[in-house]
Amino acid sequence: MLEYEGVQYKGFRNLYNEDGEAIGFQVGIRLITYRGAWLSQFRFAYVEVDGEKYRADRCTFVVSGVEYTYEETFTLGRVKWPLDEAMIIRVKKPGGLSQGNHTVSALYGEVASYIPGDAGEIDETRTSHGHSEAIGFTREMIIV
Amino acid sequence: MATPAIKGPKRGVSIYSYSGEWGVTMNLEDCFKDIYDMGATGVEILANGHIDNYPQPTNEWMDNWFRLCTKYNITPVEYGHWVTSRLYRGIMELNTEESLRMLKQDIILAHRLGFTVLRTKLGVIDWILTPVRNWREIILGALDLAERYNVCMCPEIHQPTALSSKMVADYVEFIDKYQTKNFGLNIDFGTFQNVWSKDRPPIPGVPEDGSPCSYPHELRALLPYIHACHAKFNNMSEDFQETTIPYPEIIKEFVDGGWDGYFLSEYEGPHKDEPGFVSEQLKRQHVMMKRILGY
Repeated sequence: MLEYEGVQYKGFRNLYNEDGEAIGFQVGIRLITYRGAWLSQFRFAYVEVDGEKYRADRCTFVVSGVEYTYEETFTLGRVKWPLDEAMIIRVKKPGGLSQGNHTVSALYGEVASYIPGDAGEIDETRTSHGHSEAIGFTREMIIV
Repeated sequence: MATPAIKGPKRGVSIYSYSGEWGVTMNLEDCFKDIYDMGATGVEILANGHIDNYPQPTNEWMDNWFRLCTKYNITPVEYGHWVTSRLYRGIMELNTEESLRMLKQDIILAHRLGFTVLRTKLGVIDWILTPVRNWREIILGALDLAERYNVCMCPEIHQPTALSSKMVADYVEFIDKYQTKNFGLNIDFGTFQNVWSKDRPPIPGVPEDGSPCSYPHELRALLPYIHACHAKFNNMSEDFQETTIPYPEIIKEFVDGGWDGYFLSEYEGPHKDEPGFVSEQLKRQHVMMKRILGY
């Protein structure tokens, strides 16, 4: 089962290369709505950790075990981000995140054709994900 | 236990109601158990959210679906799906060909799962929910397939759309013109909402003076076109009254008109993510509907 919050604690950890060097970190997010999205409907602004924003150019996105760049998702109108599956965001950050507490948030959404005027990119001046309630997008989480 | 052969309005639930708990504290079987507990016999699912591996469910998922329907005496009534018009960046209205591809895929899957009604959600192009300009071509292109698979595609008439609107008149005209049983209407009872919170912000298309978008008596002429309803509700009081939507008047229209079909509960109020809250609201609503219907 998923965690209630948009940002998932499960899966939050550093990523390492074959030499054991930390090259980044990953964090899961889920859709807080009532239907899944096609990947072409996915909109992403950033993952933010302790005030530093990591935008799409430093991230890849893993859905059902397949890793995509943000640009690749634009044309994937037949690949699904299931409602009950966390999408894992892998973030490039040499050295990874430091051991201890971190404040983690994410700003993302999906386009809904049946809602008027909902067409484009995320308005970052709004604090909440487009159509969902503004809950759980910021969490305190520990890196071991 | 066989489904009682009631002719008239029957009670069902849309899994939409459980969306605050779905995948977190409830799965499909949990929802079916809850529906069974309230003696409801029909269900609506939202294909894009509730079918694992949609649009290609596994045989295991299909087997489990039919097992659950049998075990909990649930009839698959309405299959909610979307014709996603804004699928790609910069395109506000998807072309007819790709829209049809999506629609046909859903017609076939709905039939495989035993559904007879589709809540066909078309993309909208303005704030009063006018459907995409090519809706006629899309629906026309799918009518033969819908007939072969014995399903009826139904756009949802949803607040702020009024029963007396041009949109509804256009749909009715289309149905009459093609004499089709495979395209119809789903009425969402939110269009009858006549009580609002005092600090309600203006809702585009909803009368600002607090009057409802539609009145129950307007249902009469439309009953032959209606294949399912969303029994939308916002607040059930402890004494089993819906405080914002005139249920007794609405249900009377369906009963007096000899309508046969399902009311599928859609809870639209707050606290959806509070475990058990929606279940309690649903049970109160079903007490109300059972009392009004007399069965």
